[in-house]
Parts: sequence; C-alpha cells; structure tokens
Amino acid sequence: MNSPPETPPAADEQTAKAPVSDADLLTRHIAGDPHAFSEIVRRHRDRMWAVALRTLGDPDEAADAVQDAFVSAYRKAGSFRGEAAVTTWLHRIVVNACLDRMRRKSVRPVADDELVEAAERDTPVLDQTAEREVSMEVSAALKLLPSDQRAALVLVDMMGYSIEDAAQVLEVPSGTVKSRCARGRAKLAPILSHLRNRSDLSRVSSAKGAELRDG
Amino acid sequence: MTGDTHYDLEILAELAEGLLDATTAMRVREHLAICDPCGESLADLAAVREVLAATPTPAMPMGVALRIDRALAAEAESFRGGGVGLVEAPAWDDIMRDAPWETSSPSQPAPWERTPHRDPLPEKEPELEPAVRLGVVGDDGTVVPVVPTRRRGANRRRRWAMPAAAAAGVAAAVIGATALAAGTLSISAPPDVSPVPYAAPAAETIQYTLTDSNYNYTDAELRGSLLDYIGPGTIVGTTDNSGIDKCVRQISALVGTSPFAVDQGFYNGQEANILLFWENQAKNTVRVHVVGPQCDNVRKPGLASWK
Repeated sequence: MNSPPETPPAADEQTAKAPVSDADLLTRHIAGDPHAFSEIVRRHRDRMWAVALRTLGDPDEAADAVQDAFVSAYRKAGSFRGEAAVTTWLHRIVVNACLDRMRRKSVRPVADDELVEAAERDTPVLDQTAEREVSMEVSAALKLLPSDQRAALVLVDMMGYSIEDAAQVLEVPSGTVKSRCARGRAKLAPILSHLRNRSDLSRVSSAKGAELRDG
Repeated sequence: MTGDTHYDLEILAELAEGLLDATTAMRVREHLAICDPCGESLADLAAVREVLAATPTPAMPMGVALRIDRALAAEAESFRGGGVGLVEAPAWDDIMRDAPWETSSPSQPAPWERTPHRDPLPEKEPELEPAVRLGVVGDDGTVVPVVPTRRRGANRRRRWAMPAAAAAGVAAAVIGATALAAGTLSISAPPDVSPVPYAAPAAETIQYTLTDSNYNYTDAELRGSLLDYIGPGTIVGTTDNSGIDKCVRQISALVGTSPFAVDQGFYNGQEANILLFWENQAKNTVRVHVVGPQCDNVRKPGLASWK
C-alpha cells in the first residue's frame, strides 16, 4: 500500500573533520548549516580584503564593500551554479561591490596631463626601508586610474592571478584584461618609475626589458 | 620609427602583453634595439608590475572581520531559515502581499496557484531569487544598494508581526469568504488529490492532531519522511482554543484545507509550528508549512513524505 517516499530522507551530515571543499561548504550553507558560511568567510576574507583595499584605496570603503559582498554572497548562495570556482564567484561579488562603490561616488577617469602633474606633485623622497610608504604611494597612484584598469591591475599584478582567472572574475575576455592591464601600467609608469631604482626591482625589470628587446 | 620619434608607453605596454600584431611588434622591437629612451620606458613599465607585486597585501583587520561576522549573524537572525530560507523568505513576503487579507481583491489567485501546484523541487527554488531583489550584487554583476532593500524587508516583516487578535479577526473574515476562496482554489487543485477526510476550514472547528515534540527540525528533515518525527509524538490535544488554533485557521484558509497534524517544535533553532496537509494521501505525500510564533511563514511550503 505504501509507496516509497518521493524524497529520500536526507543523510544526516555528521561533523566531518576532513577538509571540506568550498563548494561543499556552500551546499551545506544552502541546506541550512549555520556554520558553513562562516568557514567560507574565514578562508577567504584576507584575500577579499586585499582586493577591496587595493581596488578602493580606502580602508573604510573597503570594509563596507567587503561586508556588502559577503552579505550578498550569503543571500544569493542559492544562485551559485557551480560553473565557476567558489573563489572566483566570491571575487566577482567583491570586485563588483567595489566597482559599484566607485561608480556611485562617480570617480571620473583622470586625464593624462593630470597624471603627470600628480606624479610631479606627489613624488616624495623615498625611504628605502619604509614599505608602508611604498604601499601608500602605490595606493595613491592606483586611485588615478579608471576603475576597470585598476580592478584588472589589482587582480593580475598585485594579487598575482592569471589573466584567465582575472577574466573570469571580471567577466570580460582575456584580451580585454590584457589591454586594461597594459593601459593601466602605461599610466602608472611615469608615477612609479622612481621606485625602479630600488636594486631588487631594477634587476628584474632589466631582465624583462632585455627579454622583450631580444624578442 | 627611429631618430627623435619614440613609441608611447601604451604601445610598449601592449607589446609587453603580446597585444600587438606581428608586424608592429617587430617594428617596435627593432626600434627598441637602438633607442635608449624607449628601452628605459619599457623598463619603467616592467617596474610597475614589480612594484605592484611587491606591495604587501595586509590581512583583514580584526575589527573588520568582527563587523562582517556581526553582519552575517544579523542576516541569519533576520531570516531564521538557513541558506535556502534566506533566498525564499522574502519571496514569501511577496506571496503574502497577495494574500486575501492583504489585498481587497480575493479573486486574484495567489502566486502558488499561478505556478504548478506540486513542483517545489529544491533545485528549482533558487530561481525564485531574481524576483526577490535582495542581493547586493545581481546575477548580471550589477549592484543595488543594500540599505533600502533591508529597510523594505524590515517593513514587510513588521507588517507580518501583527497582534494575534488582529490576525484572528482577519482570519475569521477570510473564513467567512471561503466559498469564493474555495472556488478559486479548486480550479487549480491537481485532479488526483484525494478527498480530504477532515472538516473544511469553514467549519466551526477544524480537526488535527496537535503534538508538542519540541524537536528542532532542519530543512532537510522537513523534505524527508516525517511520520517518525510527528506521528509518535505525544498528542496534547486535537483541537483547542489556544493561539495556535487561530494560526492554523489562518493558514488553512490560505491552503484551502485543514492540516491533519500540527507539531509544536523548532525550525533551525527558532520556535516554530509544523503544519502538515495532505498533498496526496494515497501516495503518502504531505505538504509542510512552517510558521513562527506570530504565524509568519518561516519556510516556503514544501513536500515531504508520510510513511
């Protein structure tokens, strides 16, 4: 008389101590596990913070953007289709939150002559030992770029992601990422060129230059 | 290009990225071989990459991490329903906006009547999300402001938290109009639904077993077989006049029939009443409604089995 249930009783997940993949954690979160999403946050918050801080160049803005992004990811976890890695998906949400923040503040692109002016005005005497100074200088320089170039450079040059990964995060073709990186570097080169004289940097860049020159 | 003419930084950067066509790339390389200023520019470009890569990326400050934890905890609290519930709860608010006591046109079919009656498959549920407009970042990558969305959600919830007496009054009015509502409902009811052997909600009393398991249900459990959870519980009464009865009537008026079992327990740690309606008694399938203390839906109704 009784037909089998249409929905088999879900296997009760016991707390497994084995490392759980991000995708599994997201599935558990969708199923109602109240701790799964916290683990995702713990795993990725530093990288998300770095992306947001470098993209926005302002800690308060970055904190708001990352918080918005994580809350948004928490809510829309059900729409994650698994066609991309969870990290790519998270990066995308963070980057979009940052870009949106910049758009809402209507940061206009800076013209080239303004860049050069800024470079001349903002070139401080570099304290070789102060990484912090360099960091602030880089942040200030990045702020002069249009947001799409900035986002590409943060992912590729600062965070070290491949062009392909960055293209997935930004949802544009690889060629577009390359071209945004190229234009961004061209704008930054006059501003940051004085940093090249640091011995560790100049050695690498000469090698790279030589390689390009020799084809 | 030789002599005092030089390539600009952008061309050189494109060369470095491999974006130039072969002919142009070769011409630029030939120039670089004899032009020191352009070689310097190229080195500057490479230095940009190195400087950016060498810039340290600090860890998230503890204050920011705590702030995010708090925001997520508040998020979990406000929706009470775990992951899927988060996506669905606002959809419920939308659905309830069309409920008889929220609108003056009872002939308007409720949303679950417009959609096929028996397809709350978990895989499909995320598709509800676009209509929800809750997310900060949309599926297309666009971002909508968070604050107004939250505020709107809060208003809807507040409207739901009406006093029990007021709710009962409205529910009574709805039951009075059952003839109309029942007519609407029967059109969309699946033809193979077995006759419900219990009194219609329009009757003075509605009959169901009321248990008090205090069990903390999860979403997965409410999709599985429920007989073991609710069947053997201590029956605390069949029909009584407590607040839960008002709520049961209210939900019954919505569903168009009355539940055969109600269990007082918890859902994801929050106080909740589990209402079971026969979906298809021959197949032992039941429709599960989960409501909170204020008779607010805390989980999208779904199907489970009863065997």
